Amino acid sequence: AVSQDHGSNDDTEDVSLFDAEEETTNRPRKSKIRHPVASFFHLFFRVSAIVVYLLCELLSSSFITCMVTIILLLSCDFWAVKNVTGRLMVGLRWWNHIDEDGKSHWVFESRKSSQENKTVSEAESRIFWLGLIACPVLWVIFAFSALFSFRVKWLAVVIMGVVLQGANLYGYIRCKVGSRKNLTSMATSYFGKQFLRQNTGDDQTS
Amino acid sequence: MKSRIREFDSSTLNESVRNTIMRDLKAVGKKFMHVLYPRKSNTLLRDWDLWGPLILCVTLALMLQRDSVDSEKDGGPQFAEVFVIVWFGAVTITLNSKLLGGNISFFQSLCVLGYCILPLTVAMLICRLVLLADPGPVNFMVRLFVVIVMFAWSIVASTAFLADSQPPNRRALAVYPVFLFYFVISWMILTFTPQ
Repeated sequence: AVSQDHGSNDDTEDVSLFDAEEETTNRPRKSKIRHPVASFFHLFFRVSAIVVYLLCELLSSSFITCMVTIILLLSCDFWAVKNVTGRLMVGLRWWNHIDEDGKSHWVFESRKSSQENKTVSEAESRIFWLGLIACPVLWVIFAFSALFSFRVKWLAVVIMGVVLQGANLYGYIRCKVGSRKNLTSMATSYFGKQFLRQNTGDDQTS
Repeated sequence: MKSRIREFDSSTLNESVRNTIMRDLKAVGKKFMHVLYPRKSNTLLRDWDLWGPLILCVTLALMLQRDSVDSEKDGGPQFAEVFVIVWFGAVTITLNSKLLGGNISFFQSLCVLGYCILPLTVAMLICRLVLLADPGPVNFMVRLFVVIVMFAWSIVASTAFLADSQPPNRRALAVYPVFLFYFVISWMILTFTPQ
Protein backbone atom coordinates (compact mmCIF):
# COMPACT_ATOMS: atom_id res chain seq x y z
CA ALA A 1 0.00 0.00 0.00
CA VAL A 2 2.79 2.39 0.86
CA SER A 3 4.62 1.65 -2.35
CA GLN A 4 1.45 2.07 -4.37
CA ASP A 5 0.87 5.49 -2.88
CA HIS A 6 4.43 6.36 -3.59
CA GLY A 7 3.95 5.17 -7.16
CA SER A 8 0.78 7.17 -7.68
CA ASN A 9 2.41 10.22 -6.14
CA ASP A 10 5.26 9.81 -8.53
CA ASP A 11 2.89 9.57 -11.46
CA THR A 12 0.99 12.70 -10.58
CA GLU A 13 4.23 14.50 -9.90
CA ASP A 14 5.55 13.51 -13.29
CA VAL A 15 2.42 14.59 -15.08
CA SER A 16 2.25 17.99 -13.37
CA LEU A 17 5.96 18.66 -14.05
CA PHE A 18 5.47 17.79 -17.71
CA ASP A 19 2.51 20.17 -17.99
CA ALA A 20 4.45 22.95 -16.28
CA GLU A 21 7.28 22.54 -18.73
CA GLU A 22 4.97 22.77 -21.73
CA GLU A 23 3.37 25.93 -20.43
CA THR A 24 6.65 27.72 -19.86
CA THR A 25 8.16 26.84 -23.23
CA ASN A 26 4.94 27.63 -25.10
CA ARG A 27 6.51 27.02 -28.49
CA PRO A 28 5.32 23.66 -29.76
CA ARG A 29 6.58 24.16 -33.31
CA LYS A 30 10.21 24.65 -32.31
CA SER A 31 11.56 21.43 -33.75
CA LYS A 32 10.14 21.77 -37.26
CA ILE A 33 12.30 22.92 -40.12
CA ARG A 34 10.58 25.91 -41.64
CA HIS A 35 12.96 26.63 -44.50
CA PRO A 36 14.05 23.29 -45.94
CA VAL A 37 15.50 24.83 -49.12
CA ALA A 38 17.61 27.32 -47.18
CA SER A 39 18.81 24.62 -44.80
CA PHE A 40 19.75 22.41 -47.71
CA PHE A 41 21.72 25.12 -49.50
CA HIS A 42 23.38 26.24 -46.28
CA LEU A 43 25.03 22.85 -46.01
CA PHE A 44 25.21 21.97 -49.71
CA PHE A 45 27.77 24.56 -50.85
CA ARG A 46 30.07 24.13 -47.86
CA VAL A 47 30.04 20.38 -47.91
CA SER A 48 30.49 20.15 -51.71
CA ALA A 49 33.47 22.50 -51.57
CA ILE A 50 35.10 20.23 -49.00
CA VAL A 51 34.18 17.09 -50.93
CA VAL A 52 35.58 18.48 -54.20
CA TYR A 53 38.78 19.49 -52.42
CA LEU A 54 39.24 16.04 -50.94
CA LEU A 55 38.34 14.11 -54.07
CA CYS A 56 39.98 16.37 -56.63
CA GLU A 57 42.38 13.72 -57.86
CA LEU A 58 39.55 11.28 -58.46
CA LEU A 59 37.05 13.69 -59.97
CA SER A 60 39.12 15.36 -62.62
CA SER A 61 42.69 15.27 -63.84
CA SER A 62 42.75 19.01 -64.29
CA PHE A 63 43.86 21.06 -61.33
CA ILE A 64 42.34 24.19 -62.83
CA THR A 65 38.84 22.75 -63.06
CA CYS A 66 38.92 21.68 -59.44
CA MET A 67 40.31 24.99 -58.30
CA VAL A 68 37.73 27.04 -60.19
CA THR A 69 34.92 24.77 -58.97
CA ILE A 70 36.01 25.13 -55.38
CA ILE A 71 36.32 28.90 -55.74
CA LEU A 72 32.83 29.11 -57.22
CA LEU A 73 31.36 26.92 -54.49
CA LEU A 74 33.09 28.92 -51.76
CA SER A 75 31.81 32.19 -53.20
CA CYS A 76 28.23 30.93 -53.55
CA ASP A 77 28.40 29.58 -50.03
CA PHE A 78 29.69 32.89 -48.67
CA TRP A 79 26.94 34.86 -50.37
CA ALA A 80 24.19 32.40 -49.46
CA VAL A 81 25.15 32.14 -45.81
CA LYS A 82 25.72 35.84 -45.36
CA ASN A 83 22.64 37.11 -47.17
CA VAL A 84 20.02 34.39 -47.09
CA THR A 85 20.38 31.48 -44.71
CA GLY A 86 21.41 33.53 -41.69
CA ARG A 87 18.34 35.74 -42.10
CA LEU A 88 15.91 32.92 -42.67
CA MET A 89 17.20 30.32 -40.25
CA VAL A 90 18.30 32.28 -37.21
CA GLY A 91 17.23 35.86 -37.89
CA LEU A 92 20.75 37.33 -37.80
CA ARG A 93 22.49 39.53 -40.33
CA TRP A 94 25.77 41.41 -40.56
CA TRP A 95 27.15 43.86 -43.10
CA ASN A 96 29.35 46.88 -43.63
CA HIS A 97 27.96 50.36 -43.99
CA ILE A 98 29.88 53.44 -45.13
CA ASP A 99 28.38 56.71 -44.04
CA GLU A 100 28.63 60.14 -45.62
CA ASP A 101 31.91 60.94 -43.89
CA GLY A 102 33.52 57.91 -45.44
CA LYS A 103 33.81 56.02 -42.17
CA SER A 104 33.00 52.37 -42.26
CA HIS A 105 30.71 50.77 -39.73
CA TRP A 106 30.13 47.08 -39.26
CA VAL A 107 26.49 46.43 -38.45
CA PHE A 108 25.47 43.27 -36.61
CA GLU A 109 21.74 42.84 -36.22
CA SER A 110 19.44 40.22 -34.89
CA ARG A 111 15.71 39.91 -35.26
CA LYS A 112 13.85 40.71 -32.05
CA SER A 113 11.87 37.67 -30.97
CA SER A 114 8.72 39.69 -30.46
CA GLN A 115 8.53 40.61 -34.13
CA GLU A 116 5.68 39.00 -36.01
CA ASN A 117 5.77 35.60 -34.31
CA LYS A 118 8.86 34.54 -36.23
CA THR A 119 10.64 32.52 -33.60
CA VAL A 120 13.73 30.54 -34.33
CA SER A 121 13.20 26.82 -34.75
CA GLU A 122 15.62 24.67 -32.76
CA ALA A 123 16.34 22.19 -35.51
CA GLU A 124 17.21 24.96 -37.98
CA SER A 125 19.34 26.74 -35.43
CA ARG A 126 21.25 23.55 -34.73
CA ILE A 127 21.82 22.85 -38.45
CA PHE A 128 22.93 26.44 -38.99
CA TRP A 129 25.48 26.61 -36.21
CA LEU A 130 26.77 23.10 -36.88
CA GLY A 131 27.46 23.92 -40.52
CA LEU A 132 28.85 27.31 -39.63
CA ILE A 133 31.37 26.06 -37.11
CA ALA A 134 32.44 22.67 -38.48
CA CYS A 135 33.49 23.79 -41.95
CA PRO A 136 35.97 26.58 -41.11
CA VAL A 137 37.59 24.21 -38.63
CA LEU A 138 38.01 21.66 -41.43
CA TRP A 139 39.50 24.28 -43.75
CA VAL A 140 42.03 25.29 -41.08
CA ILE A 141 43.02 21.64 -40.77
CA PHE A 142 43.40 21.48 -44.56
CA ALA A 143 45.54 24.60 -44.46
CA PHE A 144 47.97 23.07 -42.03
CA SER A 145 48.05 19.80 -43.92
CA ALA A 146 48.72 21.58 -47.23
CA LEU A 147 51.47 23.62 -45.62
CA PHE A 148 53.22 20.70 -43.97
CA SER A 149 52.90 18.29 -46.86
CA PHE A 150 54.17 21.00 -49.25
CA ARG A 151 51.19 20.87 -51.60
CA VAL A 152 51.62 24.57 -51.95
CA LYS A 153 49.58 25.00 -55.11
CA TRP A 154 46.44 24.28 -53.11
CA LEU A 155 47.33 26.84 -50.49
CA ALA A 156 45.63 29.71 -52.33
CA VAL A 157 42.29 27.89 -52.42
CA VAL A 158 42.55 26.67 -48.85
CA ILE A 159 43.37 30.12 -47.54
CA MET A 160 40.39 31.47 -49.43
CA GLY A 161 38.22 28.84 -47.79
CA VAL A 162 39.50 29.73 -44.34
CA VAL A 163 39.03 33.46 -44.89
CA LEU A 164 35.52 33.33 -46.39
CA GLN A 165 34.06 30.81 -43.99
CA GLY A 166 35.89 32.27 -41.02
CA ALA A 167 34.46 35.70 -41.87
CA ASN A 168 30.91 34.37 -41.80
CA LEU A 169 31.58 32.55 -38.54
CA TYR A 170 33.00 35.68 -36.93
CA GLY A 171 30.17 37.87 -38.22
CA TYR A 172 27.44 35.61 -36.93
CA ILE A 173 29.06 35.07 -33.57
CA ARG A 174 29.23 38.82 -33.15
CA CYS A 175 25.56 39.12 -34.11
CA LYS A 176 24.65 36.48 -31.57
CA VAL A 177 26.80 37.95 -28.83
CA GLY A 178 25.65 41.47 -29.58
CA SER A 179 22.04 40.46 -29.18
CA ARG A 180 22.73 39.23 -25.67
CA LYS A 181 24.50 42.40 -24.56
CA ASN A 182 27.41 40.71 -22.93
CA LEU A 183 29.49 37.61 -23.54
CA THR A 184 30.06 37.01 -19.83
CA SER A 185 26.38 37.25 -18.96
CA MET A 186 25.63 34.77 -21.75
CA ALA A 187 28.27 32.37 -20.43
CA THR A 188 27.00 32.62 -16.86
CA SER A 189 23.37 32.11 -17.92
CA TYR A 190 24.35 29.06 -20.01
CA PHE A 191 26.33 27.46 -17.21
CA GLY A 192 23.66 28.42 -14.70
CA LYS A 193 21.05 26.58 -16.76
CA GLN A 194 23.25 23.51 -17.05
CA PHE A 195 23.83 23.50 -13.31
CA LEU A 196 20.11 23.79 -12.56
CA ARG A 197 19.24 21.08 -15.05
CA GLN A 198 21.71 18.70 -13.48
CA ASN A 199 20.43 19.34 -9.97
CA THR A 200 16.72 18.92 -10.80
CA GLY A 201 17.61 15.80 -12.75
CA ASP A 202 19.33 14.38 -9.66
CA ASP A 203 16.34 15.20 -7.50
CA GLN A 204 13.97 13.35 -9.83
CA THR A 205 15.99 10.16 -10.01
CA SER A 206 16.44 9.99 -6.21
CA MET B 1 21.65 58.15 -39.09
CA LYS B 2 20.70 55.54 -36.52
CA SER B 3 17.06 55.64 -37.57
CA ARG B 4 18.06 55.30 -41.20
CA ILE B 5 19.98 52.15 -40.38
CA ARG B 6 17.04 50.80 -38.37
CA GLU B 7 14.61 51.17 -41.25
CA PHE B 8 17.17 49.77 -43.68
CA ASP B 9 17.71 46.75 -41.49
CA SER B 10 14.10 45.75 -41.07
CA SER B 11 13.59 45.90 -44.79
CA THR B 12 16.63 43.76 -45.58
CA LEU B 13 16.03 41.24 -42.80
CA ASN B 14 12.73 40.26 -44.28
CA GLU B 15 13.16 40.71 -48.00
CA SER B 16 12.84 37.79 -50.37
CA VAL B 17 15.85 35.94 -51.76
CA ARG B 18 15.12 37.14 -55.28
CA ASN B 19 15.31 40.76 -54.12
CA THR B 20 18.65 40.15 -52.50
CA ILE B 21 20.09 38.57 -55.63
CA MET B 22 18.78 41.32 -57.91
CA ARG B 23 20.05 44.02 -55.58
CA ASP B 24 23.55 42.59 -55.50
CA LEU B 25 23.66 41.93 -59.24
CA LYS B 26 22.58 45.47 -59.98
CA ALA B 27 25.23 46.84 -57.65
CA VAL B 28 27.94 44.84 -59.41
CA GLY B 29 26.70 45.88 -62.85
CA LYS B 30 26.59 49.52 -61.84
CA LYS B 31 30.18 49.40 -60.73
CA PHE B 32 31.29 47.84 -64.00
CA MET B 33 29.61 50.72 -65.82
CA HIS B 34 31.37 53.20 -63.58
CA VAL B 35 34.73 51.72 -64.45
CA LEU B 36 34.00 51.84 -68.17
CA TYR B 37 32.95 55.50 -67.99
CA PRO B 38 34.94 56.89 -65.09
CA ARG B 39 33.80 60.09 -63.49
CA LYS B 40 34.42 61.41 -60.05
CA SER B 41 31.70 59.85 -57.99
CA ASN B 42 31.43 58.13 -54.69
CA THR B 43 29.30 55.15 -55.63
CA LEU B 44 32.19 52.78 -56.11
CA LEU B 45 33.48 53.71 -52.71
CA ARG B 46 30.26 53.78 -50.72
CA ASP B 47 28.78 50.36 -51.46
CA TRP B 48 31.82 48.23 -51.94
CA ASP B 49 31.71 44.59 -52.86
CA LEU B 50 34.36 42.14 -53.94
CA TRP B 51 32.33 40.04 -56.38
CA GLY B 52 33.46 41.99 -59.42
CA PRO B 53 37.15 41.65 -58.56
CA LEU B 54 36.70 37.94 -57.95
CA ILE B 55 35.02 37.38 -61.31
CA LEU B 56 37.64 39.47 -63.11
CA CYS B 57 40.51 37.75 -61.36
CA VAL B 58 39.22 34.27 -62.18
CA THR B 59 38.56 35.25 -65.81
CA LEU B 60 42.00 36.77 -66.19
CA ALA B 61 43.68 33.75 -64.59
CA LEU B 62 41.76 31.39 -66.86
CA MET B 63 42.71 33.35 -69.97
CA LEU B 64 46.36 33.48 -68.97
CA GLN B 65 46.64 29.70 -69.13
CA ARG B 66 48.97 28.15 -71.60
CA ASP B 67 47.35 25.27 -73.48
CA SER B 68 49.78 22.53 -72.69
CA VAL B 69 49.39 19.06 -74.13
CA ASP B 70 50.72 17.43 -71.02
CA SER B 71 47.88 17.33 -68.52
CA GLU B 72 50.16 16.99 -65.55
CA LYS B 73 51.71 20.38 -65.94
CA ASP B 74 48.32 21.81 -66.67
CA GLY B 75 49.00 25.36 -65.68
CA GLY B 76 48.10 25.03 -62.06
CA PRO B 77 50.91 27.16 -60.71
CA GLN B 78 50.22 29.92 -63.26
CA PHE B 79 46.58 30.13 -62.22
CA ALA B 80 47.49 30.45 -58.56
CA GLU B 81 50.25 32.89 -59.53
CA VAL B 82 47.81 35.33 -61.16
CA PHE B 83 45.54 35.09 -58.16
CA VAL B 84 48.35 35.76 -55.74
CA ILE B 85 49.73 38.66 -57.77
CA VAL B 86 46.37 40.37 -58.05
CA TRP B 87 45.23 39.98 -54.46
CA PHE B 88 48.59 40.41 -52.80
CA GLY B 89 49.31 43.43 -54.98
CA ALA B 90 45.96 44.99 -54.13
CA VAL B 91 46.46 44.40 -50.41
CA THR B 92 49.94 45.92 -50.56
CA ILE B 93 48.69 49.04 -52.33
CA THR B 94 45.91 49.39 -49.79
CA LEU B 95 48.31 49.11 -46.88
CA ASN B 96 50.58 51.64 -48.53
CA SER B 97 47.76 54.10 -48.98
CA LYS B 98 46.57 53.65 -45.42
CA LEU B 99 50.08 54.16 -44.07
CA LEU B 100 50.33 57.38 -46.06
CA GLY B 101 47.33 58.65 -44.17
CA GLY B 102 44.55 58.05 -46.66
CA ASN B 103 41.02 57.99 -45.29
CA ILE B 104 39.72 55.14 -47.33
CA SER B 105 38.83 51.85 -45.76
CA PHE B 106 40.61 48.59 -46.53
CA PHE B 107 37.79 46.94 -48.46
CA GLN B 108 36.87 50.05 -50.40
CA SER B 109 40.37 50.27 -51.77
CA LEU B 110 40.41 46.57 -52.66
CA CYS B 111 37.07 47.05 -54.39
CA VAL B 112 38.29 49.95 -56.54
CA LEU B 113 41.56 48.27 -57.51
CA GLY B 114 39.78 45.05 -58.35
CA TYR B 115 37.07 46.62 -60.48
CA CYS B 116 39.60 48.68 -62.41
CA ILE B 117 41.16 45.47 -63.73
CA LEU B 118 38.20 45.33 -66.13
CA PRO B 119 39.90 47.22 -68.99
CA LEU B 120 42.93 44.93 -68.75
CA THR B 121 40.69 41.87 -68.83
CA VAL B 122 39.13 43.21 -72.02
CA ALA B 123 42.67 43.74 -73.37
CA MET B 124 43.47 40.11 -72.56
CA LEU B 125 40.41 38.97 -74.45
CA ILE B 126 41.37 41.06 -77.49
CA CYS B 127 44.95 39.81 -77.34
CA ARG B 128 43.84 36.22 -77.30
CA LEU B 129 41.68 36.84 -80.35
CA VAL B 130 44.52 38.65 -82.13
CA LEU B 131 46.89 35.77 -81.35
CA LEU B 132 44.67 33.45 -83.36
CA ALA B 133 45.97 35.21 -86.47
CA ASP B 134 49.53 34.53 -87.69
CA PRO B 135 52.35 35.88 -85.54
CA GLY B 136 54.57 38.70 -86.68
CA PRO B 137 55.48 42.28 -85.92
CA VAL B 138 52.04 43.60 -86.93
CA ASN B 139 50.44 41.19 -84.48
CA PHE B 140 52.71 42.43 -81.75
CA MET B 141 52.10 46.10 -82.55
CA VAL B 142 48.35 45.64 -82.40
CA ARG B 143 48.58 43.91 -79.06
CA LEU B 144 50.98 46.51 -77.70
CA PHE B 145 48.63 49.30 -78.71
CA VAL B 146 45.60 47.63 -77.15
CA VAL B 147 47.41 46.88 -73.91
CA ILE B 148 48.76 50.44 -73.63
CA VAL B 149 45.32 51.94 -74.17
CA MET B 150 43.67 49.66 -71.62
CA PHE B 151 46.48 50.21 -69.14
CA ALA B 152 45.96 53.96 -69.38
CA TRP B 153 42.22 53.44 -68.95
CA SER B 154 42.74 51.40 -65.76
CA ILE B 155 45.05 54.02 -64.32
CA VAL B 156 42.65 56.85 -65.10
CA ALA B 157 39.70 54.93 -63.65
CA SER B 158 41.41 53.98 -60.43
CA THR B 159 42.98 57.37 -59.76
CA ALA B 160 39.63 59.04 -60.37
CA PHE B 161 38.38 57.14 -57.35
CA LEU B 162 41.44 56.83 -55.18
CA ALA B 163 43.16 60.18 -55.56
CA ASP B 164 40.58 62.09 -53.58
CA SER B 165 41.15 60.02 -50.51
CA GLN B 166 44.74 61.16 -50.15
CA PRO B 167 46.05 64.48 -48.85
CA PRO B 168 47.26 66.54 -51.86
CA ASN B 169 50.99 66.40 -51.14
CA ARG B 170 50.93 62.60 -50.98
CA ARG B 171 48.95 61.88 -54.08
CA ALA B 172 51.88 60.86 -56.27
CA LEU B 173 53.23 58.59 -53.53
CA ALA B 174 49.89 56.83 -53.30
CA VAL B 175 49.32 56.56 -57.02
CA TYR B 176 52.65 55.15 -58.18
CA PRO B 177 52.08 51.67 -56.64
CA VAL B 178 48.80 51.53 -58.55
CA PHE B 179 50.78 52.31 -61.70
CA LEU B 180 53.21 49.49 -60.86
CA PHE B 181 50.40 47.05 -60.13
CA TYR B 182 48.63 47.57 -63.43
CA PHE B 183 51.98 47.61 -65.21
CA VAL B 184 52.79 44.11 -63.94
CA ILE B 185 49.39 42.83 -65.04
CA SER B 186 49.77 44.49 -68.46
CA TRP B 187 53.21 42.94 -68.81
CA MET B 188 51.78 39.49 -68.08
CA ILE B 189 49.13 40.09 -70.72
CA LEU B 190 51.53 41.41 -73.33
CA THR B 191 54.09 38.65 -72.94
CA PHE B 192 51.51 35.89 -73.04
CA THR B 193 51.94 33.28 -75.75
CA PRO B 194 49.66 30.29 -76.04
CA GLN B 195 52.40 27.68 -76.42
